[in-house]
Amino acid sequence: MKIIEKIKTNKSDDNLTEIQKICLHKLQSNPLPNPKSELWRLSKKSKLSNFLDYSVNEKDSKFDIPYPKNSQSTIRLIIGENCQIKLIEKNYSIQQLSEDELQKYIKEQISFFKQNENWSDLLNLSLSCKNNILGLKINGSKIPPIEIFSHASSNSLNAKTLVIFLEKNCDVELLQVNLGKENSSLSQSTFFCLKENSSVNHGVVSYGENRSNLLNSLNVIQQKNSAYNLGSLHFKFNYARFEISIKQSAGNAKTNIKGMQITKKNEQISTYTKIEFNGPNGFLDQINKSLADDKSHAIFEGSIIVPKIAQRTDASQLSRNLLLSNLAQIDTKPQLEIIADDVKCKHGATISQLNEEELFYMRTRGITLTEASKLQLSSYFQEIISFIPISKDKWDLLDKLLNEN
Amino acid sequence: MVNENLVKDVVKEPYKYGFVTDIETEKIEKGLNEDIIKLISQKKEEPKFLLDFRLKAFKKWQKMKEPDWAALGYKKIDYQDIIYYSAPKQKEKISSLDEVDPKLLETFDKLGIPLTEQKKLTNVAVDAVFDSVSIATTFREELAEHGVIFCSISEAVKNHADLIEKYLGTVVPASDNYFAALNSAVFSDGSFVYIPKGVTCPMDLSSYFRINSGDSGQFERTLIIAEESSSVSYLEGCTAPMFDTNTLHAAVVELIALDDASIKYSTVQNWYAGDEEGIGGIFNFVTKRGKCLGKRSKISWSQVETGSAITWKYPSCLLLGEESVGEFYSVALTNNLQQADTGTKMIHIGPKTKSTIVSKGISAGNSKNSYRGLVKMGTKATGSRNYSQCDSMLIGDQASANTFPYIKSQQPNSEIEHEASTCRISEDQLFYLQSRGIEFEEAVSMMVSGFCRDVFNQLPMEFAAEADKLLALKLEGSVG
Repeated sequence: MKIIEKIKTNKSDDNLTEIQKICLHKLQSNPLPNPKSELWRLSKKSKLSNFLDYSVNEKDSKFDIPYPKNSQSTIRLIIGENCQIKLIEKNYSIQQLSEDELQKYIKEQISFFKQNENWSDLLNLSLSCKNNILGLKINGSKIPPIEIFSHASSNSLNAKTLVIFLEKNCDVELLQVNLGKENSSLSQSTFFCLKENSSVNHGVVSYGENRSNLLNSLNVIQQKNSAYNLGSLHFKFNYARFEISIKQSAGNAKTNIKGMQITKKNEQISTYTKIEFNGPNGFLDQINKSLADDKSHAIFEGSIIVPKIAQRTDASQLSRNLLLSNLAQIDTKPQLEIIADDVKCKHGATISQLNEEELFYMRTRGITLTEASKLQLSSYFQEIISFIPISKDKWDLLDKLLNEN
Repeated sequence: MVNENLVKDVVKEPYKYGFVTDIETEKIEKGLNEDIIKLISQKKEEPKFLLDFRLKAFKKWQKMKEPDWAALGYKKIDYQDIIYYSAPKQKEKISSLDEVDPKLLETFDKLGIPLTEQKKLTNVAVDAVFDSVSIATTFREELAEHGVIFCSISEAVKNHADLIEKYLGTVVPASDNYFAALNSAVFSDGSFVYIPKGVTCPMDLSSYFRINSGDSGQFERTLIIAEESSSVSYLEGCTAPMFDTNTLHAAVVELIALDDASIKYSTVQNWYAGDEEGIGGIFNFVTKRGKCLGKRSKISWSQVETGSAITWKYPSCLLLGEESVGEFYSVALTNNLQQADTGTKMIHIGPKTKSTIVSKGISAGNSKNSYRGLVKMGTKATGSRNYSQCDSMLIGDQASANTFPYIKSQQPNSEIEHEASTCRISEDQLFYLQSRGIEFEEAVSMMVSGFCRDVFNQLPMEFAAEADKLLALKLEGSVG
């Protein structure tokens, strides 16, 4: 594992930023996550080693964006490509965060990090050079859709970091696309800070090619009356982890999450979510879908934490899973930890295969088995895809999932 | 807003089984080492295979670490500060109940356990275990007529050594976990049940466990074997006196069901839970597991857990036989500073196996009540199904309720459904009941009993009534 060797033997290098130094220092004593901990227990060791087996690449090669930009107004940013942005319009403004602001915020976040729980973030921040960190401050309303791309080039490990501040009363649609090339590893960490009354429709679409790996971590802090809607889709990765941590810092906020992961061949994709309510009247509606085929392994672990202060929290979490092959495996673990008494919390989990009765019905109507399965899958996928803020005419994800994958 | 004080009053009933029986007991010295194990084995006149089993388990235990994944907060147990064998002194051999020390009989009378033959009407055969030994087993002759063996495990070791050697440790191996290994090394007594082929046990069997001394742990072992096409219902009850110290209870229960056999195992656990400040109480670390070996066999666990300072208990089913069925019905109530980490494991190995889990947790006071479960579908479990439901009720804003279900599937042709919810006592319902002239306390206890009904319906009748009463008593003074 080249990266781990590098962390272990790291001597203070003047090229490193202060954040990189802090994170490296935190990782040095224990450079790898504890394989026995709940968060890493199911992660395949060989796959994680493979992730860490590439050398870090700080320069980006060109890559193809999977769909054309269909409207002039869409704002498109590619992390790592020196994207300077300063847009100040009548209704809104999008500016880059100053270095000081960026440093201060990240440092504050790091102070809460635990070696094991935030290992992916620590690794990301210790590898992410200045060019690969994008910080944005978004203000106003009627903002055109924003698209942000991260990608990893072949035979290398790329670390990209995104920090977004949504100012008060701001309302935005943001799509994040993570692309993995053949034999590559991408470490992507995203930090979102939603100020009061702000709202975001956040889409995360990650897909790779042969033997590409991804560690995708998302940290969201929601202030009062903010609304955070997340639609996510992860597929075609040899190894991928999506770690979501959402904190409703003073309650009274709304969170909607609809996520999906699709594994085939020998892939392993996992989603870990941790949602903490630190104030009253919080709301959460979460659904996570997995589909595992061939010899693959899909994992979901979600925890909801409701301390005493979070009275009148209304949280629900649902994990729905389709297991399509005898050799595939699904693990799911929804969790509730509740201390407040005046709350409505529920969770559910199901694992099954395609509904045979529905298939039979369609076949009696002359639809072939393959078509009938596709129809069922498309309805299964559609619920999540329709939640990702991207219009069908731009990028037909459903078609991609059904035909290409 | 519900009147908090009133509700608190509802849960504050004193523990009525907290008395100590003043009886001369025989104890061995504190501590745990090979010599102690040999001494226990010698006292019980055990055959060599059992001593070897104990010593092997002890060696394994020494290499193991006490589990901490349940995140239960309790002070470290000093395993060398426990007496591993304590027995009431009595005449060498007892031929009938008349010879049992009247003080012991009185104790069980006080606890409401029918030991004397006059109480035949209750039609329940009882094996009473006092500290480390079984003191009496009733209705033996009647059971023997049907070929049913029901005795203490020490007697079974002497009279049915072949069965013990064949089955002991086959469901819960000595190295299974820390507490099972400890139990395998030092278990002192417990019950043994053998139901022969084709026999439906004519009466409910029951064992009653009583810890009397404050410094000795209780390590009982229960083994139930149901041969082909047989069936049995087994009840278990537990109480202990009030001491300021914590007493360790580490039991192992093994059930084996062969083709078409069915075992129903019901528990009402009411060990002393400690006082309001959390001083004293039993540490209850129990490993219970059933093996559905035969085709169409069935094992059903039902439990009402109201006592113990710490409960660590996951009655499980290994569903090996085709079309075998596993069930788990549980009510766990915690109050004051009690901590309960309980749940089940349903391991589906054979095809067309089915399991149902219904768990109800009620947490009041400053207690912590967690459901921790595992449902696993193995690669050969085609056409298998599981349904789980875990509901929690919170009483007061200091109690915590956690749910940690773990679901793993490797078989596409199987279905797993899990649902969980958390709520509190509905003010509307309380108001409605009160407006109909029902007292506050009664209304709360009606609602709690309604919340637990799915589980109580599964308990044998005598137990269901007892459980309902027990819950009402335990809750007195706590609803808020």
